Parts: sequence; C-alpha cells; structure tokens
Amino acid sequence: MKNGKFLKTVALVLALTAVLAISAPAQAKVQLTMGSWRADDVTQMTKLLAAFTQKYPNISVKFDPTNPPDYNAALNLQLQSGIGPDLMYARSYDTGVQIFKQGYFADVTDLPGLKKVYSDLARAPWADENGRSFAVPFCAVSHGVYYNVDLFKKLGLSVPQTWEDFLATCKKIQAAGVTPVANGLADQWDINEVVMMNILPNFIGGPQGRLDYEAGKTKFNDAKMVAAFQAMKDLAAFCPKGFEALTYNDSNALFVNQKAAMYFDGSWTMASFTDMKFDWSVFAPPPPKGMKGYVTFHPDSGIAMNPKTKYPTECKTLLQWLYSDEAAAIVSNNIPTGFFTIASNAAKITDAHANAFLQMSKSHPTDVRFVWPRLMSGKPSGYNLLNDGTIAVMTGKMSPQQAADALQNGLAQWYVPSK
Amino acid sequence: MIARAGLRGRDGAFWFLFILPALAVYAAFMAAPVIDSLRMSFFSGSGYAVDNFVGFDNYVKLFTDPETSTRFLKAFTNNWEFFGITMLVQNTFGLAFALILSAKGFKGKGFFRTIIFVPVTLSVLVTGYIWKLILNPQWGELNILLTKAGLGSLALPWLGDTRFALPAITLVSAWQWVGLPTMMFLAGLERIPEELFEAAQIDGAGGWLTFSKIKLPLLLPVIGIVTVLTFVGNFNAFDVVYAMEGANGPPAYATDLMGTFFYRTGIAGQHPVGIPDMGLGAAVAAVTFAVLFAGVLLANRLMNKDEAERGPAMDGGRA
Repeated sequence: MKNGKFLKTVALVLALTAVLAISAPAQAKVQLTMGSWRADDVTQMTKLLAAFTQKYPNISVKFDPTNPPDYNAALNLQLQSGIGPDLMYARSYDTGVQIFKQGYFADVTDLPGLKKVYSDLARAPWADENGRSFAVPFCAVSHGVYYNVDLFKKLGLSVPQTWEDFLATCKKIQAAGVTPVANGLADQWDINEVVMMNILPNFIGGPQGRLDYEAGKTKFNDAKMVAAFQAMKDLAAFCPKGFEALTYNDSNALFVNQKAAMYFDGSWTMASFTDMKFDWSVFAPPPPKGMKGYVTFHPDSGIAMNPKTKYPTECKTLLQWLYSDEAAAIVSNNIPTGFFTIASNAAKITDAHANAFLQMSKSHPTDVRFVWPRLMSGKPSGYNLLNDGTIAVMTGKMSPQQAADALQNGLAQWYVPSK
Repeated sequence: MIARAGLRGRDGAFWFLFILPALAVYAAFMAAPVIDSLRMSFFSGSGYAVDNFVGFDNYVKLFTDPETSTRFLKAFTNNWEFFGITMLVQNTFGLAFALILSAKGFKGKGFFRTIIFVPVTLSVLVTGYIWKLILNPQWGELNILLTKAGLGSLALPWLGDTRFALPAITLVSAWQWVGLPTMMFLAGLERIPEELFEAAQIDGAGGWLTFSKIKLPLLLPVIGIVTVLTFVGNFNAFDVVYAMEGANGPPAYATDLMGTFFYRTGIAGQHPVGIPDMGLGAAVAAVTFAVLFAGVLLANRLMNKDEAERGPAMDGGRA
C-alpha cells in the first residue's frame, strides 16, 4: 500500500515533468532586438512589429534605434565585441558590403521566396559582387521638388516640364517677391543628396549614363557633368538671401512659412508636412530640353540578421514575414510616411501625398543616388568631391568646368576605371 | 617612542600613500589613454578593431597624402588664426574689463563681474546654437538690425562666407569665455600692493603710466598663464565649430580645426559612410598633443626666464 502510493506519486511527478518539458519550448517567448538608425520611426516600427507578434505570439521584437550619425560606428563596435542586435538595418551598397565581408551580416540569399518578391535589381543594393544577399530589402526613399500649389495658382504658374521652364518659373516667382527655391548650403549634405543628386540623372541620362561613368566609358568631366554643375550655378540665383548659411531646417521652415515657393527634398520630409496651411504637392525634377526625365528612387535600408544570433529561426521567420503577401499591406502602410517598400507585392499606400510621391517614380524611369553604388569606397570620396564642387559652383568659387575637372581628377586618384 | 621610530622608518612609503589615489585616477584616466592613443597611431584597422601594425604609415599619410595633408594643414592654420583672434580680442577685452572692474570708485562691480562671467557657465552647444540663430541670414537679429540701420549691404551670411565664418565663430567663443581671463586679471590686479599705487601717485604718475609701469609688468605672469590656457583651449577646441557649423568645418573647410578634423578622421568617419580610421585619427591626436606640449614647454621656459630676470621686484619687493 505504501509502496503503491509512492509509485503513484512518482508516476504523477514524472507525468507532470513530461508535460512541463513538452510545453516549455512552446511557451518560451523569444525577444529579438532590432538595431536601426531611424530614431524618428519608433512609433511606426513598434506598430509594425506588434502586428508580427500578433501572428507569431512567441516572438516579440524590440526596435532599438541609435542616433543616425552614430549608427555605423556604434553598430561596428557592437558587432565586433559580440553584442550586436539580432536583426539590424543595413545600409545599401558599399557601407553594407564592407560589414558583410567582415562576416557580421548573415547570408540571407536562400531565404524562401526572397528572389520571387525582389528582382535582382531590387536586391542588388544589399548584395555583394557575387549576388549574395546580406539583407532583405526594406525601404527606399524618393526625391522630388515640393511646391506650394496655392502660390502657383495665385501666380498663374504650371508645373515646369523642362529645366529651362523651371528656371523661367523661378524668375516669375522671384519677380513676384517670393523666394523661388528654399534650399541652402550650411548643412552641406542636403544640397548634395536632395538637390544635385536629385537632378543629376536628368542631365547624364539616367542609370545608363551613370553606368558609363562607372565603367570609365565617360570621363567625369564630360559635357553632361558640366551641364549639371551649370544647372546648380543657375539655381543659386533663385535660392534664398544668405542661402550660403541656411541649414536644412531653415529651408524646411522657409517652405512651410510660404516664404519660398519650391523646395528640393526627399520623400521622408513629407512626414513633417502634416498640418500645412496651404495646399502642396510635388513634381519630378524637370530634365533639360530634349532629355528624358528620371526620378531618384534610392534604396535606403535593408534588414540584416546577425550570424551570431541565438535565435536564427525566429529571425528568419520575421524576415520572411516582412516580404510575405499577407504582410504586404501592413508593411506598406506602417513603414514611416515617405519611405516605400521595394517588394513586388507592395500594397497601395493610403496616404494621398505619399501616393503622389510614389506615382512619380512609377511614371518615370528611376535611378539611384549617383555616387552610392561605386564611388564612395576610396579617398577622396566621390560624395565629397560632388558636394564640395556643387557648393563651390553655387558660391562662385569654381566654374562648372573646374568642379567637373576636380571630380574627375579626384576620382582618378583611386577609382581604377576613371584613370 | 617605538611607534614614532617605526613611522619615521617607513617615511618613504608613507607620504606616497597620500598621493596614491590621485595618481591612480590620473594614470587610469589621463596617462593611460594618452599612451594608448599614441600606440594606436602606429596601427590601422577597420572600425574599432585597430590591430594591424603599420609603423609610421599613418604619419606619412597625414603629411604626404594629398587629400589628408591638405585638410590637416588647413585645420592647423585655421587653429592658429583662431588662437590669434582669441588672444587679440578675448584676452584684450578680459584685461580691459579687469581694469575697469578694479578701478577705484567703480560702482556695480559685483553685478558686472557676474554678467561677464555668466556665459562661461553655459554649455557651448547652447551658446553656439543661440549665436547661430542671431547670425541667421533670414531671421537672425544681427542682420535685421543692420538692415534697419540702413546697412543692409552689410547683412551678410556670416557663417556661410569663407572670409567671415572663422572670425565669427572665434568672436562667439571669445564672447563666451572672456569671463575667465577677466577673473584671472582681476585677481592679479587685486594682488598688487596698494603702496605701489600710492607711491606712484605721490611721484605724479597718471593713469597710463601706472598701467604701463606698474600694472602691466606685475600682470605678466598672469598674462603668461592666460596665454597658455588659451593656447591649450583653442587647440583642443571642437564644440563651438560643431555647434555652429558642423563636423566638416564648412564653408569649404574654412572653420575646420584640429578638433573637428580629428573627430571626422578618428571618431565619426566621413558622412555618409561613417567608418572612422582610428589609427589615422590617433596620429592627428598625437600631432596635436606634440604641438600643445611644445607650446606649453616654450611658454614655461619664457615665463621662468622672465621671472628669473626680474627676480624679487616682481612681487613688489615682498618675496
């Protein structure tokens, strides 16, 4: 009797343990961390990742962004000391490739369905020269010219179709006592990334033109490049008084306060244009007469996986979910305003302004920012040469030809095809 | 007796215990990083794994690579200009303020002393930002005032003009820090014995003569210290440029200082790639350190020589 009771107890305990052992892994919750430079996007990303947790209740993801300028350095440090996040935003092109080559991004080429949802072209910014993907493509940004629709109506202006039209429009706006273009030079990066590289594809003939420069078939100081620098010089006359010392935020404020009629900028800025006192819209940068118009649609962020993560299966589950058909609508409408998914199954965006921006890149052929794919991995960087040249031309320190020569000579120091 | 003898016996080790905590802190937080930074200047590597020994390559690159050496030289000369203007403006005003504050019968000394000193207590990022707003070409107070005074042609984009950007930043820095030399000069002036002025007065010396023959010579040691502090502060400066212009020292590197050049090279990397070359950055830091070291050594030598020549007279005959 005593023995029987003992056996029963043992059996019960064993049975309970077995139940616990089976249920434990099923109930264990995994929390993944996701590193990012988009500190502004915590709200939207948290929402997006919550939708994922709803579908996979055992996996939650903590979005843990870093101050944008510190991201690359901080991430490098984390990865090298083995405390990197499980998942992280990956920069496109060389910056990302370098980290991949050091072995800090997992190879995700063989994730099921990746190649179906993303074309080779869409995957290229996050792949090495052998076509191995180190991140799932996530967001792209677009570029254009914001304009004050009310003011255009008041002055009887229409959206310019050619660069010559554009300059004539600027002249009319200036004559009416309004600053035509809000952009300035103080922060440097914006004149380069959202103005010069915004109009550049129009002057050099889009992606094919860029590839010719990259292959060394065209010199960087050819007539097309000089024409682009000339356009920047012409633009300077229509920038605000004291534009040499106006910052990116100043330019934004000039447009918002209706002191400037147009504003070259990226799609991400429309998130700050929510409570505007006037009707605004956006147009594609107009090409010079006789040239084809392009829109700079630039791959911005991919999502990579840490090869040392403790939860590779869970990480892959999230990555696959991000581009799955069922998540397409959630992703499209929850990634921050002004960012666009690159997936072929992307859903229609509900925000009207964002949609207008996206339509621009659907009705025009697109290219990426000129220097990103090949020209930033040496010294002097093509980015700096283009930036310094643009500013020098706009402040009258260099002629367009001199700026183009400086670009060619600088790149010839290290970029082999241009020698 | 025994205890005292024992204490005396361990005398050598005993005093050492008192400076040990300070020495440990100094060694851990000052000496070790400086030495490690010097070591790092002989290495290269991507990101933060600086482990590839390259000998003097970083220094060779710093002085001969066209891109790097141009930036380095520009930052170096800019730093001298920054120092020159600071000496001329900040320390001259500091001396003038101290003379006024210490003048006999000057009312409101405490009030003005506070006013002059308040900016010193503020963060450079705050004052830099405020001045950036004041100097803004579209809505800055300065250009609005100039325009209202009929001087619209002088309303320039100060921080965006290669001619004016560095002087403008230097003046902002001088405005902020003028309180420090003022306080030091004031303390120096108040240390001058009253008898000297009385004697001078009896001998019929006027204000200028009193200043040039008594106050100025007796302030020389203070001037020396102020110069050294300004020198060290200026060659380590980074924040004021970062706050008002950004890490690239725009426009066209006109406001690039050793500090911003070092930050770009060794810490932040160049936008948008942002991967720093820490070995090269350490080389920049080492050169800055050498310049500072040489400067301070020279100043010390000059000051000591000065003191030796003057001898006791310095201290008004008290020493």
